[in-house]
Amino acid sequence: MDEAVPMKYFKPTITILALLAVAYVLIFGPRADIPPVHDRVIVQYWEKWTGNEASQMQKIVDRFNDTVGKDKGIYVQYLSMSNINQKTLVSTAGGVPPDIAGLWDTQVVQYATLDALEPLDELARSHGITQSYYKPVFWKACTYEGKLYALISTPMSMGLHYNKKIVAERADALRQAGLDPDRLPATLDEMDRWARAMDVVEKTSSGRDRIQVAGYIPMEPGWFVSYTGQWFGVSIFDERTGKLQLNHPQMVKAMEWIQAYSRRLGLESMGEFRSGFGQFNSTQNPFLTGAVAMVQQGPWMANYIENLRPEMNRWNMPPERQKLDEQLAGEVASGKLSSEDRMLKWAALVPAEERRAYCSWGFIPAPPAEPGLKDVSYCGFDTLVIPRGAEHPKEAFEFIAFVNRQDVMERLCSMHCKNSPLAKASEKFLNEHPNPYIAIFNQLADSPNAFGVPQIGIWPRVGDEMAFAIQRIYLLQATPKQAMDDAQERMTAAYKKFLDLQGKRGRQ
Amino acid sequence: MTRKDWQDFSRGIAFISPWIVGFLAFTLLPVALSLYYSFCDYSLLQSPLWVGTENYRELMRDDDFWRTLRNTGYYAMVALPAGLMVSVGLALLLNQNIRGQSVYRTIIFLPSLVPVVASSMLWMWIFNAKLGLLNHVLSFCGIEGQIQFSWLNHLLGLQGGDMIQPLTMPPPWLDDARTAMPALIMMSIWGVGNAVVIYLAGLQDVPRELYEAADIDGANGWQRLRNVTLPMISPVIFFNLVMGIIGSLQTFATAYIMTGGGPAKATYFYTMYLYDNAFSYLRMGYASAMAWIQLLIVLVLTAVAFWSSKRWVHYQGK
Repeated sequence: MDEAVPMKYFKPTITILALLAVAYVLIFGPRADIPPVHDRVIVQYWEKWTGNEASQMQKIVDRFNDTVGKDKGIYVQYLSMSNINQKTLVSTAGGVPPDIAGLWDTQVVQYATLDALEPLDELARSHGITQSYYKPVFWKACTYEGKLYALISTPMSMGLHYNKKIVAERADALRQAGLDPDRLPATLDEMDRWARAMDVVEKTSSGRDRIQVAGYIPMEPGWFVSYTGQWFGVSIFDERTGKLQLNHPQMVKAMEWIQAYSRRLGLESMGEFRSGFGQFNSTQNPFLTGAVAMVQQGPWMANYIENLRPEMNRWNMPPERQKLDEQLAGEVASGKLSSEDRMLKWAALVPAEERRAYCSWGFIPAPPAEPGLKDVSYCGFDTLVIPRGAEHPKEAFEFIAFVNRQDVMERLCSMHCKNSPLAKASEKFLNEHPNPYIAIFNQLADSPNAFGVPQIGIWPRVGDEMAFAIQRIYLLQATPKQAMDDAQERMTAAYKKFLDLQGKRGRQ
Repeated sequence: MTRKDWQDFSRGIAFISPWIVGFLAFTLLPVALSLYYSFCDYSLLQSPLWVGTENYRELMRDDDFWRTLRNTGYYAMVALPAGLMVSVGLALLLNQNIRGQSVYRTIIFLPSLVPVVASSMLWMWIFNAKLGLLNHVLSFCGIEGQIQFSWLNHLLGLQGGDMIQPLTMPPPWLDDARTAMPALIMMSIWGVGNAVVIYLAGLQDVPRELYEAADIDGANGWQRLRNVTLPMISPVIFFNLVMGIIGSLQTFATAYIMTGGGPAKATYFYTMYLYDNAFSYLRMGYASAMAWIQLLIVLVLTAVAFWSSKRWVHYQGK
């Protein structure tokens, strides 16, 4: 048989197949995300959120595009992404930044010192957004050297969450320790005594301690442990003198408090205990499993509880409320309601005070270490900034101002389960927020002892150095004084060098 | 050059021009610029400011530079020989003519197909102190209790906070500064499948007549391995050694995912510190200086490997 015959058809067949493949991709393949508008200014908005938080922000973006954006000829193109700080950094350096970037609060001053952000003062003033519109702690954190560089998308304050069930179970132990289970800790010393009374430690067959329940662990989750000094009355960076205070006697005292937990619970036992914890956003979160009775957290905790351990929000609920709850669950099952809207609807139907009674968890301001200190709370936030070189700063700010409108901000913060950064909070927001304790978070953010990220241009380095020092302390590798002296020495030199180099650039 | 030669040359250049342009624009230019930036204070967001050799001098005084260099060196010095020995050993076993040989080969190779993020997550659970498979096996085997280091503390004259604390067995692997690095090294051995395949190819290439000659000379199994197999696959071992040196000095992803460099920077690798300087602290000039030092270290180690190879690498036909 002649083999040249099939070869004769080989080339045309391959060519036809290739052309068909190309035609298929052109007809049915993916389309570029081209905005459905041609007569509007396109504002590029990059945001770090993914999952639910991203889709909730998408709703705000859609609302803007359908209302204000439509009237003013602006269309916001929203892009949710990971590693937003790197992408914003590289695009800004390359001269093609987005019009709006949703950075972390830790980057505002860092980027501002490097002239990478557009000052927003004029634009904010023209929209009536002034200092008095915000809570002082948040306005301060958005400004640097007298200029406004960011506004807020969602903020947080933090305090102590406690497990009411464990308190009830350990009531006798609390009483034996001379504590009243009905009177929550008012000082750090009392909180330590509470923690000790709630610890459940068993001996293994080999005679080692195995922690079953820990009353409190400073390193769980440890996200804000660098700010512990504030509970002892000292800040990391003294903005008045421009000096770091990492080895300030009160800071060392704060670190001694952290180390005392490692010594009391035992490093190895605590290591084994903590390794059994799941991730924060999992059902194995130690607060949700009851492994840790008290944790420092932000207002989003209520959201995670509802999604991961809903029974913690349905403790001792009377039959009529159970019925309402089941009715809402039925609406979710039939597709009439999203699970997110269910939470908001439940909050709208059941007053916050009543909902608190159904929670098997509670929330109070973190007990202070020093007399006279009250409502000390770290207040962080997610920012909206306009990077230097953005193509449409005015149009971008229209969207930022829209997000900062009280009704929009409260809607977004309710969906994200966070408090509001604005000076005024509506009654509706405080009563119908999915977190029944939101009024306390709001009060904490208003406190004169509320504080934000230290306003120092090298904060990411200082933060990492603090984290390292605290790990050395927690792991008993160094005495608190030694670890903090080392950190102070290194970071003082680093900051001095940073200022020298900025000085050489003509910027102090 | 004739007109035709010139035309051929031009055509050739035109065909490889995409690569040439790509190489110049995306490799050579960034490399040259990074050398320049290593002598500058540069954040990406401001124009570079010439600081001379300051970045290099600061590196010499930087505790973290030395710490990460030490950590990376420790990892490379243990993981590399361990990986070589295990992969050669496995290749020798898989080279035996036994039933199900291809199944075993596939099983050994499979882990190297798992993405690094997935394998890291898997190993985080294996090393979990409370729920981990490894500690369950150790407990089952009766490996429990405490290891005291009093003799070592005494020998080294360590006191107070400097003393080495007792280690509870089974240990909390990734949560203990002393066991986190050994854990990462153990995990690195899991991915030797690639190297095993290369060794297997090398083993298949060993001429049968050499084994026959060794048999006639009365060589036992060890002597055959020592005098025939290993010398004959020494070029393959050398290739894996050089690639291993380069790879282990660039370790990043597993530690970044599994430990974040902790506890207390016990697994903080050189490339992680470089990355932090570049993208978190915005010190691109400093990070560039680190990259050039890293290149220098790799070059020196590779040169040493090449120099030593004259003594132990045997090429067929030479």
